[in-house]
Amino acid sequence: MQELIQAAQAALTSKEAAFIIGYALTPDGKKTRPFIARTPDEAAKLVFNHTCAHNLAVYLTRIAKPKEGKMGIVAKGCDTRAIVALIQENKITRDQVYIIGVNCSGVTADVTLPFGADNLPSKCIMCQVQVPPVSDVLVGTAAPYDKPKDAVTERMQLLEAMNEHERFAFWASEFEKCIKCYACRQTCPMCYCEQCIVDKTVPRWIESSASLRGNFSWNMIRAFHLAGRCIGCGECERACPMDIPLMLLNRKMGMVAMQQFNYRHGVNPEEPTLVGSYNMQDNNEFFK
Amino acid sequence: MQAMKQFITTDEKLRQLVHALSKNAWNIISAGKEGTNFIYINDGKDLVINADSKPTKLSAKEFFFPKTEPLFFYKKNHDGVDLLDPKDVLRKTVLFGVKPCDAAAVPVMGKVFNWDYKDEFFNRRVEQTVIIGMACSYSDVYCFCTSTGLSPESSKGSDVFLKPAQNSSYIAEAVTPKGEAFVVEFSSFFDAANENDVKLLLNSPKGPEKKFDANQVKQWLDGHFEDPLWNEVGETCLGCAQCAFTCPTCHCFDIVDESCGYNCGRRVKNWDGCQFGLFTKHASGHNPRGHQPERYRQRISHKFKYYQDKFGEILCTGCGRCTRGCPVGIDIAEIAQEINKRNSVLV
Repeated sequence: MQELIQAAQAALTSKEAAFIIGYALTPDGKKTRPFIARTPDEAAKLVFNHTCAHNLAVYLTRIAKPKEGKMGIVAKGCDTRAIVALIQENKITRDQVYIIGVNCSGVTADVTLPFGADNLPSKCIMCQVQVPPVSDVLVGTAAPYDKPKDAVTERMQLLEAMNEHERFAFWASEFEKCIKCYACRQTCPMCYCEQCIVDKTVPRWIESSASLRGNFSWNMIRAFHLAGRCIGCGECERACPMDIPLMLLNRKMGMVAMQQFNYRHGVNPEEPTLVGSYNMQDNNEFFK
Repeated sequence: MQAMKQFITTDEKLRQLVHALSKNAWNIISAGKEGTNFIYINDGKDLVINADSKPTKLSAKEFFFPKTEPLFFYKKNHDGVDLLDPKDVLRKTVLFGVKPCDAAAVPVMGKVFNWDYKDEFFNRRVEQTVIIGMACSYSDVYCFCTSTGLSPESSKGSDVFLKPAQNSSYIAEAVTPKGEAFVVEFSSFFDAANENDVKLLLNSPKGPEKKFDANQVKQWLDGHFEDPLWNEVGETCLGCAQCAFTCPTCHCFDIVDESCGYNCGRRVKNWDGCQFGLFTKHASGHNPRGHQPERYRQRISHKFKYYQDKFGEILCTGCGRCTRGCPVGIDIAEIAQEINKRNSVLV
């Protein structure tokens, strides 16, 4: 912890960073939540523990860019993928961010329950980046933890085994629950459009009603917009008050990007994006 | 004051009541199993009456103020346009196992829906529905009904209120004339309770500890429209409507037209939320609440000041859903506590 605070304070004192987007304890001391430290004193409140599930990269496109200094951010390995993806998509440049990478030992799915194999989000079960691959300074230690079987993978296999009618019925029953609160969009680091297509009214492309038709349009279009772009942090699913298994869709898209184009978003800041590049060797067999 | 009319019933009788209601073509809605939603049922075995259960994901407001509701349908004809009333015949409805924090929200919302314009869509649903509330013995770190003038045994908003007693029985109070009429109509499932029956009542649930004083929160809000607090609490808000949509009292809506093709369409009333940037955006492009802290101030002020100013009560029943589901852990009770702290420093 001290290491994290020292790194943040050093970046703020040297004015390398204008602020640090990190985590602070809630007053009850049991959970954490996003916190923006602007002074070394404020930075003393920064913490990192098993309840730091949030992907803070979402704030990089929500907060006004400082006139001087970089945007400092505390990032887990999985979160750095979002930062790299934002660099690839020209939303930020590498020298606009100061990344305090935290070695991570997993986060909880439910912050009110103790950390453990039965309380892990899918992203931690599948995790291969306990040590952030990109950072300006690296703090903490990454302890190994027990990983159970991933329920999302199992569910995805069930879904893949369905025929298209069954699969349609499955998604119809899931999307019916949607209340159009847009928590999925608001928590998504890759959903940064200044005006989301669902908010456009002249003309209105997507019905704003939380009816089955409106819900289908919204959730499918969001999935398409994230095809080859989702970095798998699972924030949309964590935020969904109706427990719609959005990662089943997003992860499938990621798998297709990998199988068809050998592409994984948010890994190499120099690499052109999947939808922003064309290669003569690309697999074209789905054009029919 | 006349004593509340008390009856005794049992778990088994309530399940039989579901059967009788079903035969009489009532809509029957039961609280869902742990951590789920309210569900429509037809069979007594599906009834969930569990005082210990966590509040449902969505509150009961969806049965009075649905997430999307048609106001009218239109269809072009040769001479002009036909307007069709969407108000299908509402069946009589009963809501079972509603927690005090959900039931109390119905009359609170009723004030805004009957203030100048009488919202017939809301009112007819309320009129058609019998709310069977139930004492609540669930409490987690997010609950704060006791800070909003309610308690785990508040019968506000319920027509009939159940309190668990020994041997899977319940003492049922007929709270409103509508509730009394319901108990009379289905009297074979409710017996008049005598003194000995009332002795069977289980101990009253304690409920969450009181976290803040809502009157003091309002006092502070009266003089702090501009305050650094709004930036502190609002700058990490990501601006979704999870809080507003799961809230039993939030009642803002948007009205949009949706076509079903070239010749027809409908006008619908949809839930809207004040944390959306689009909520107050003018057609000119100007937005009087252009930043998240201003929107967050609106949320707190509407709940603890404006509604109090206009209707004499706060717009919050302490169910805790907004905090339980906030993706970035913003805690409304904690903000109210912080305001109390600042208020006491000033006094």
